[in-house]
Amino acid sequence: MTLPEPTPDISAFLASSVHDMKNSISILIGGMEKILAAADRESPEYQDMSHMMYETKRINGNLIQLLTLYKLGNHLYPFSPEDWLLDDFIHETLSQQQPLLESRGIAFEVDCEPDLIWPFDADLVGGVVGHALNNAIHYTQNRIRLVVRRAAEGLELRVEDDGRGYPQKMLDDGVAAMQGVDFQGGSTGLGLYFSAMVARLHRNKGKTGSIRLENGGAWGGGCFVLCLP
Amino acid sequence: MSLPQQQLPADFGDKSFLIIDDFHGMRSILRDILRSCGVNPRNIATAANGGEAIALLEKNRFDGVLCDFNLGAGKNGQQVLEEAKFRSLIGPGCAWIMITAEKTTDVVMGAAEYQPDAYLIKPITEATLRLRLDKIWSKKEAFADIDRAVVEQDFLRAVKLCDQRLATDRSNAGELLRLKCQLLLSAGEHEQARSLCSAILAERDVPWAKLGLARAQFAAGELAEARALLEALVAENRTFLEAYDWLVAVLKAQDDLTKAEEVLEQAARLSPNSVTRQKILGEVALQLGKLDNAEKAFRKSVALGEHSVLKTADAYLGLAKTCSAKDNPNEALQVLGTLTKQFNDDEVKVKALATEGMVHHKAGDPIAARKVAQQLGEALNQSGVRTDSATTLEMAELMLVTGEKSQAVALLQDEVRNNPEDKTLLGRVQQVFDTASMGAEGSALVEASRKEALELMNQGVLLVRDGKFDEALAALRTACERLPSNVRVLLNFAHLALGIMQKTAVDPALVDEIRERLLTVRRLAPGEKRCAQLMSQLDTLTR
Repeated sequence: MTLPEPTPDISAFLASSVHDMKNSISILIGGMEKILAAADRESPEYQDMSHMMYETKRINGNLIQLLTLYKLGNHLYPFSPEDWLLDDFIHETLSQQQPLLESRGIAFEVDCEPDLIWPFDADLVGGVVGHALNNAIHYTQNRIRLVVRRAAEGLELRVEDDGRGYPQKMLDDGVAAMQGVDFQGGSTGLGLYFSAMVARLHRNKGKTGSIRLENGGAWGGGCFVLCLP
Repeated sequence: MSLPQQQLPADFGDKSFLIIDDFHGMRSILRDILRSCGVNPRNIATAANGGEAIALLEKNRFDGVLCDFNLGAGKNGQQVLEEAKFRSLIGPGCAWIMITAEKTTDVVMGAAEYQPDAYLIKPITEATLRLRLDKIWSKKEAFADIDRAVVEQDFLRAVKLCDQRLATDRSNAGELLRLKCQLLLSAGEHEQARSLCSAILAERDVPWAKLGLARAQFAAGELAEARALLEALVAENRTFLEAYDWLVAVLKAQDDLTKAEEVLEQAARLSPNSVTRQKILGEVALQLGKLDNAEKAFRKSVALGEHSVLKTADAYLGLAKTCSAKDNPNEALQVLGTLTKQFNDDEVKVKALATEGMVHHKAGDPIAARKVAQQLGEALNQSGVRTDSATTLEMAELMLVTGEKSQAVALLQDEVRNNPEDKTLLGRVQQVFDTASMGAEGSALVEASRKEALELMNQGVLLVRDGKFDEALAALRTACERLPSNVRVLLNFAHLALGIMQKTAVDPALVDEIRERLLTVRRLAPGEKRCAQLMSQLDTLTR
């Protein structure tokens, strides 16, 4: 008689492996930054290297999202909304994307109400905006714009590009329908799922945060919108 | 706004740094980043573990520390930070950045006073580090005068400085309000804290303001309201550990230990590495008679304390008591032996003896118990150490069961004299007498000591009324010596001495004496309003 195999707690293994992978990726990214900083910008190696950096950062972003979702699900994520001067926050978030934007020759604009202060969890919201920017970098022709302003629902952060925009079906179905996995299309739904979760965590006076997708903005391309109450 | 490349980068050319990371690869990456930030490589020190880090911190003053949370075996990053702060190895201007692979409760949730200035999640880039350091240093500069007032223990001056800064500094407003709220609560100005929090909450749901409101309610004795608010707060903010700790305090005040244990268990699951929380959990479980839970929590606290400067003798004492309650006196004695080897301190020695005597008594060895009780009596007389009320009552119990009646009576009378107005404590003292079948004799003794203390306290007041200030001061000084833990006597002394100095001249020796007495009050009764007011007056007089 054979004993049944014990069922491992896959989610705990996933979480600990992801944690471990993150350490390796940190070393990778650190090394690449050093090489990129020293490389000749006109060389083909620079382009290859910057593409590698883009992919590595994408992996890192996904791992962070996976880990965060795991922690949130187990109530182990220390959600910590704090007052942020939006100028500072955007500065910091953009600094992560700056080398990539530059290496791809993408023009970037920021339109942020000056002296705007809002409370939110900067690590989570930074992850959401970073993901949206990464997407925009992928779909844009050559321009991206970040708009931060006070709106009726609260603070509005918009990432706009000048690409073809989202397919009509995606807009019609709304955010709720976009969380399935689509391996063919290369979309795991993780980013949107994560973004929606982060938005919902932010609450104030009975209102919760939200995300939505639009076509339009300054150049008629795709817009990702995050609202925080 | 300007884009990153247009912003003038901050220059860190004159700053010194310590990098703490167990991976060589990470250390060299961080070193490269600091170099690109303009830091002179000669001013960058590195450590591969907690021990090396502490040795470097002992020898140098760093402007910034980049510390990985996970340092392999030995101390973790949080424990290094705790030791550095506890032993003042870093100055108030030092920016401590904790680097973690991920954000998780067991990393982030230390005690509030041992928080780093920022947590950064790997990978660290030059731009992020530059921005963060810049932000931390400019905030430290903005808060420097407030920090100084806090270090000098003048909470009310710190509140005033917060108000001044709030009038102009909008970007730090949230942080200033939070700090002001904490300062008001520490100064015993609970009603001011209450209105501050209520005003904030009318605008927005801010968790710390809810906690502040609950603390104000707790201080005002509104236990049911405070409990309801804190329960809602932890339900909405499942990882807000400070709220759990205050909820436990309220539940203990309500004598609902069952619920307190439950809440502590939840908090300990979120943040399993807190030496202090595990110790409190053990104490509550022991009081409830849940010996297995108590043992587990005390053992955990002792183990966590191995690398921590926050390790506490109480965890060992609790573990010894638990072993004794589980009829395992040998292990209890062994734990006490380890305790006295670990802590070289008169108070710990006395507490350990009190526990040791009870272990022998419970194990049915009256001869050993009596011998320890006598040792304890000698130790008390020699060291003149003052213990907290709970320990004093324990010592008196031991003296009574071992026949050292006169020692017991002296301890209990002393306790009554120092707290003649604390009805709960008087009740407990009476209980100790009752248990020893000394009910009637005990209540006469309690009453006599209470009267004696009140007379001593009134003497000074009467002399003041008659305008005999110098005699009053001498009388109150005598009262302070006789009743060294009597909060009201200590405060009256400080009040009178300050009044005299305000009319005549500042006497440095008297200033020191007042400060020392007020610091005793702060230790005995944190959040005592009169103490904060007198501290502020003293500060104004001597600045």
